[in-house]
Amino acid sequence: MPPPTPANDEAHQQLLNSLDISHVPKPFRNPHWKPSQRRNKNLKQIISEASRKEASVMATQANSGATTPGTSAVTDGTRTPAEGAAPNLSQATQNLSTLVLEKNARATFATGPAVTYTNIESAPSFNPAYKHRYCDITGLDGPYTDPKTRLRYHDKEIFKVIRSLAQGVPENYLEARGAHTILK
Amino acid sequence: MTITSVQTLLPGRIAANANEQRTEKPPPQLHTVQDFPFKGYHPPQPEGWQQSQAHPDTSAIVIDNGSHLVKAGWSFDKNPRFAIPPVMSRYRDRKLNRQCQFIGYDAYVDATTRGQLRNGFDPGSSVVGNWDVMEGVLDYLFLKLGVEGANGGVGRPILMTEPIANMPYSRKMMNEILFECYSAPSVAYGIDSLFSYRYNGGTDGLIVDSSHTSTHIIPVLNSKPMFSNTSRLNWGGLQSAEYLMKLMKLKYPTFPTRLTDAHMEELVHNHCYVSQDYDRELNGFLDWSGLEDRDRVIQYPFTEHIIQEKTEEELARIAERKKESGRRLQEQAAKMRLEKLVKKEQELEYWKDLQQTLANETKKEVRRILEAEDLKDEAALERLIRELEKSIKRSRNKDLGIEETEEQPEEMTFPLLDIPDDQLDEAGLKEKRHQRLMKSNVDARLRAKEEKEREKARVEEEERIDRETRENDFETWISKRRNNRQAILQRIKDRDRFTADLGNRKSLASQMRMKTLANLASDGPKKRRRGGDEDDFGANDDDWGVYRTVAVGEASDDEEEEDLNGMLDAVEKELLEYDPEFSESHTLAAQSDWKKSLVHAFLRGPWPFDPESQREAHQLHLNVERIRVPEVVFKPSIAGVDQAGLIEMAADIINQRYTNPADQARLLKDVFLTGGNTLFTGFDERFRQEVRGFLPIDALLNVRKASDPVFDAWKGAAQWASGGDFARSSVTRQEYLEKGSEYLKEHDLGNATW
Repeated sequence: MPPPTPANDEAHQQLLNSLDISHVPKPFRNPHWKPSQRRNKNLKQIISEASRKEASVMATQANSGATTPGTSAVTDGTRTPAEGAAPNLSQATQNLSTLVLEKNARATFATGPAVTYTNIESAPSFNPAYKHRYCDITGLDGPYTDPKTRLRYHDKEIFKVIRSLAQGVPENYLEARGAHTILK
Repeated sequence: MTITSVQTLLPGRIAANANEQRTEKPPPQLHTVQDFPFKGYHPPQPEGWQQSQAHPDTSAIVIDNGSHLVKAGWSFDKNPRFAIPPVMSRYRDRKLNRQCQFIGYDAYVDATTRGQLRNGFDPGSSVVGNWDVMEGVLDYLFLKLGVEGANGGVGRPILMTEPIANMPYSRKMMNEILFECYSAPSVAYGIDSLFSYRYNGGTDGLIVDSSHTSTHIIPVLNSKPMFSNTSRLNWGGLQSAEYLMKLMKLKYPTFPTRLTDAHMEELVHNHCYVSQDYDRELNGFLDWSGLEDRDRVIQYPFTEHIIQEKTEEELARIAERKKESGRRLQEQAAKMRLEKLVKKEQELEYWKDLQQTLANETKKEVRRILEAEDLKDEAALERLIRELEKSIKRSRNKDLGIEETEEQPEEMTFPLLDIPDDQLDEAGLKEKRHQRLMKSNVDARLRAKEEKEREKARVEEEERIDRETRENDFETWISKRRNNRQAILQRIKDRDRFTADLGNRKSLASQMRMKTLANLASDGPKKRRRGGDEDDFGANDDDWGVYRTVAVGEASDDEEEEDLNGMLDAVEKELLEYDPEFSESHTLAAQSDWKKSLVHAFLRGPWPFDPESQREAHQLHLNVERIRVPEVVFKPSIAGVDQAGLIEMAADIINQRYTNPADQARLLKDVFLTGGNTLFTGFDERFRQEVRGFLPIDALLNVRKASDPVFDAWKGAAQWASGGDFARSSVTRQEYLEKGSEYLKEHDLGNATW
């Protein structure tokens, strides 16, 4: 890219100024808002935290009955239908251990496991028709496998190409197919 | 399962006619990619805010929080006012010494901002990973929507979309931002694909939502989503672009320009399509006929190395100058030759004079004069004069341009050789020795000549025999030639393999070489082979061959290479002449022609490739990739995703999870496609055709596509936000403060709590 001329530069700076929103007043923001420093988490962290939480909730419910299970309404704030029923105080007087048993039974048998981000992932394929083998280089039909690099290939011309690949490249091809070796 | 289609097996491309004429193709149509998606300055649109002043409690800000585009507008709008990618570029400008912040397309404005680009979503997922970016995006949207706000809040209800089975943490953070940073009076969440379905008037059916980061299948009965039977495939438009990037980097490992994700996305959008019959189309994809239409050429910007084009005049001048200098040189040479000639003539004169004077002198005087001239005797003087005469004659001829005739050397006589030594005096003996030397010289020349003639006769004889065998026993002759050709080909192959193997440290060839080297280098006491005790290296000429096996590099087998190719040419020429089954297309040159090469078709399409051309070096060719990339959603194993494909997922949900035929029929009656990844040409036809494949023959199947697979989710959300359900399903600020940040109200278009 050629270095910008001064006139060009000025126009560009003006454009930048018009696009930049850092100095625009934002009256809709709470001036006292201080975000947490460590609020950015990646998917893996979020999932592992969520599953740990689920497991611990299950354990406490199973052992102590710390939460108050109910058949119609739960008022702990995580399960609230749109209409929001009033808390049923009479529940508290029922026998806790019976309620815990009931709840556990319901959790395991009646509705099956709860729907979470992880368990709605579709299962691996079992249909052999979808396991067709394709050439790793060209994407064409790949009936052969090179025993040395484990690459699938279409014909002898592609095989020649495979054998001429530099070190490490076959691994990249395997990676595109998710068949590479991961060293841990 | 019923058989619903019959496939005929087509012969593979290998069986294609070897003699097929591969004609030249017209020059390719070039496609370009946009450098970066900067879209210029967008002014804010405050009129929406003005309009919302009338009903501040029901006019909601609707945000479809997509990982590809965040769409935003008012609930009374027909279309979203803004759609931006959820990216932010924030940095401190050192020159101006202040913080800069660019959002969405604006972040692509120049190289600095692009360098600081951050994405709001966790890579490859529909989950927000960077909340600073999310905040920036919301700031930008509220600014552009003209939100004036009051008391540090947006003052309008907010409706936002979230992924299916959103994580509690994500919702918690979003709630925190919306309620605490923007002080929203109320917030509702919903699922984008359900909004899209509602907008398109669906109540019972199967939603197939293939979007930027994931593909979902959601059964809906009585307008209620069946989350427990929902399935997700972790593949969408983003993964397609990433996959294409991987393929392109492998296909063109030395591509001179940087390939960006935005380029790949554009290529996927503009050039990829869903094949109706993948395996069949795939196998013919690189066939010569029609390849120019299937192969898309993407031209990247380049600068051609300018070769100084010289004008006619300049060329003429240069030629003239060259000729001039040549002439000058010639003149100089001629002058020098003339000078030499004159000198030689003078010398000749002098010697001739001397000879004449000698004739009249006494013997003693003669010897004295000769000695003074450094000559042995009169014979020497005579030889000298003869030599000079000859050379003068030769140079005269040359000057006059007379062709030098190979003059027969006069018959030499060696009379002295037959005379015994004792009959000669000292001078005679000397002369005899000289004559013997001359004689052996002449004899050797004669012998060489004879040898040459014999060789010629031998070759002629061989040719004659060869011709005879060809005429009398053609079969043997031709098979011999063919075998010969095969052997040469094999040798060429072996040679290539050998050189290739030497590059590989672990190959047998290089290990043998290392062994030889080690043997040569070790000079300590070696185990001698039985018998020989002393070093007899070199006794056999073949011993020196060891150095040839050790040497690596081009110099070592240069001669042989020339030889092999020459031999092959000769054999192929003969075969071409006499073998009726051997045609031009069988020669090695034709076999290795780029038009025959599958790899060439794959890399460069049906056009020749000039490695010098910068233009062609900056070209990407999309061919197989055009159907290979969108195919992954049907066959995830292609890209190594260990999940069932779209069709298998749909089949599983319909056939396995709904046993009631009535439910199945209701789902099949309305299969609804939405999301940006369904925009590929042929997606719905392929889906319809393949789903048909696992259904009973009389099943009613209706597949339809959203009227706008990208924006319908927002439109549906805006529509819903204008209705009564919205207020009932919103969490108010009061409820948030009371019940915590993970509190959610369930409704038909949103996630459920569990």
